[in-house]
Amino acid sequence: MDVWPIGNKAVLLGFIALSAHYRGYPHDAWLILAFLLYLSLNIAIPLFRRTGPQLALAALSAVLAIACAWRLDPLFVLVLPVNLYELAAASKRSGWQAFLTVLLPVPFLPHPLIALYLTCACLSFLLLACAGHYAGRLAALEAEREKNRVDLQKLAKTLSENDEYIRQSEYTIKLEERNRLSQQIHDELGHSMAGALIQMEASRRMLASDRDKAAELLGNAISISKEGLERIRLTLKDLKPKAEEIGINRLRLFADELSAKRNIPATLSYEGDIDVITPIQWKVIQENATEAVTNTLKYAKATAIHIEIRVLNKFVKAVVSDNGQGAGKIVKGLGIVGMEERAASAGGMVIVDGSRGFSVTTLLPVGE
Amino acid sequence: MNVLEIRNLTKKFGDFAAVDNMTLSVREGEIFGFLGANGAGKSTTINMIASLLRSTKGEIDLLGRSISANARFAKSNIGIVPQDIAIYEDMTAYENVRFFAGLYGLRGETLKERTAEALEFVGLGDKHKSYPKNFSGGMKRRLNIACAIAHRPKLIIMDEPTVGIDPQSRNYILNSVKKLNEMGSTIIYTSHYMEEVEEICTRIAIVDHGKIIADGTKEQLKSIITDTKEIWIGVRSAEPVQVEALKAIPGVLSVRVEEQTVMVSSKAEVGNLNRIIQQLIKDQAEIRSVEEQAPNLEAVFLTLTGRNLRD
Repeated sequence: MDVWPIGNKAVLLGFIALSAHYRGYPHDAWLILAFLLYLSLNIAIPLFRRTGPQLALAALSAVLAIACAWRLDPLFVLVLPVNLYELAAASKRSGWQAFLTVLLPVPFLPHPLIALYLTCACLSFLLLACAGHYAGRLAALEAEREKNRVDLQKLAKTLSENDEYIRQSEYTIKLEERNRLSQQIHDELGHSMAGALIQMEASRRMLASDRDKAAELLGNAISISKEGLERIRLTLKDLKPKAEEIGINRLRLFADELSAKRNIPATLSYEGDIDVITPIQWKVIQENATEAVTNTLKYAKATAIHIEIRVLNKFVKAVVSDNGQGAGKIVKGLGIVGMEERAASAGGMVIVDGSRGFSVTTLLPVGE
Repeated sequence: MNVLEIRNLTKKFGDFAAVDNMTLSVREGEIFGFLGANGAGKSTTINMIASLLRSTKGEIDLLGRSISANARFAKSNIGIVPQDIAIYEDMTAYENVRFFAGLYGLRGETLKERTAEALEFVGLGDKHKSYPKNFSGGMKRRLNIACAIAHRPKLIIMDEPTVGIDPQSRNYILNSVKKLNEMGSTIIYTSHYMEEVEEICTRIAIVDHGKIIADGTKEQLKSIITDTKEIWIGVRSAEPVQVEALKAIPGVLSVRVEEQTVMVSSKAEVGNLNRIIQQLIKDQAEIRSVEEQAPNLEAVFLTLTGRNLRD
């Protein structure tokens, strides 16, 4: 930005010097001093970063320009607009005010100079306003870029922290689970096995002397082992999640509850190999179904709801449809947007249709 | 190279989103089909590509340049055949084409040549002095196409160009679409006639409620629902059929045999019908009928959206 006013002034000064030369103006040491003084004042302006000194220097060079115009060469008044613009800009005036400031000297000028002054003033104003505008835009873009960079850094950091956190918690969960397992195996099985072993040892020793006693001990060992085996089975069964907690069973439970509590018959059907649906996809399907049903209950005046899960070759499709009044033109509320976002997070999409009843179709990609 | 690139395009009329965050690209040399029911957002999208409608959000690039910033460039590189026939009935066929080509900036000899060429192309060369008010629906359509292609645009958009015309003109139009494509134009073709799209398009996007639900070649789209096909072959007697030999044919997944039917389940993308039939002939099974049950685009649309194309 700083070079623009300097360039502008340099061009104007050059013009003044040249026209002074061609008009056969006597080479006056005062004039050269004035040029040099003006130059040094104006080169000093951008050296200061604070507005105070800049304002003072701009005012000073304006005064110098006026003085020179009055005493030495009237053309000197042509550099005045740039200084005036600088004054206006430094004191944060709007574009129009700056323009009026630049035109302020016009009434005081001798008539032959007015046209030239106006041309110079307008051109300088255009140039500087333009430069100022684009410098502002550039600064804004820079600031935005800087902000984006910081955001990016922050996000990358959060991401790596999250990764670390996930790794940690996976490890912790594994550890906890392993602890629980070993504890359970120890508590449930260790004792039985030890008991059975002792009984069997004793039976071996007594085999020669007291066969009946040995047989009894062996019988004990067998029943303890049987019990142990049963416990293993129970433990393993315990480890598996309950059937109603996952997948289609949960949806079935959901549909049954709807039928029972809300008095709307809800049916569920599925087709295809539903084992390919991942837990995350089940979660999306489940949540979208809940949301869709909530909408139906709120708005549709429906008497039946149908939930359909269908596994296609590359998609799994989950549809919740009702036989209610539907909607001609669908206005997306938070609910639908939420469903779309959930589906998008699993790489899929949602189709909402209100032409025959209301249906919400969630499509999620599978098997890739 | 992408002739057309659409990113996050949205058009809202009030609260209603006719086109909803659509992203797609059309590559050079493609016949790109837009398949969707009425009101799916096909024409709205096309009107935005042709800069007849302003988008609410999103960008459209033609040949790598934004169409909003380069409107003249975009317009001179797009030829559009609108859904509703746009020709002047009281000007001759020749004058119509010359008028539209003139709007695209053709002048002098080039204008004359291209006008004659375009009329010839759509098979109306001998009718250039006739007035369209005496034309059949199909001829009007063809004239409409001639008006859109005389300036040799890079991208030709055809919005349901076969609605309400006789089968003969329809075939003519489909063939000319293929020919235009062979001559180097990229084509966007919208229709709710699944058969047409399936016949001519190299890539297809299924649109519903302003969104692209799936896109790809027709094989890719069909494989969304299933990647197997069922071939049912009726024979006089299935006794001599050697099941193991049939199973050995590449692509065949399973074979079931009933008294007079051989049911072969096969991978859809493998073309093995010939070999299956050859095998049956070799086994001296007398073939009475062959029926292939493969999914079509209509089925894909129905399965994905739960609705018919012509609802």
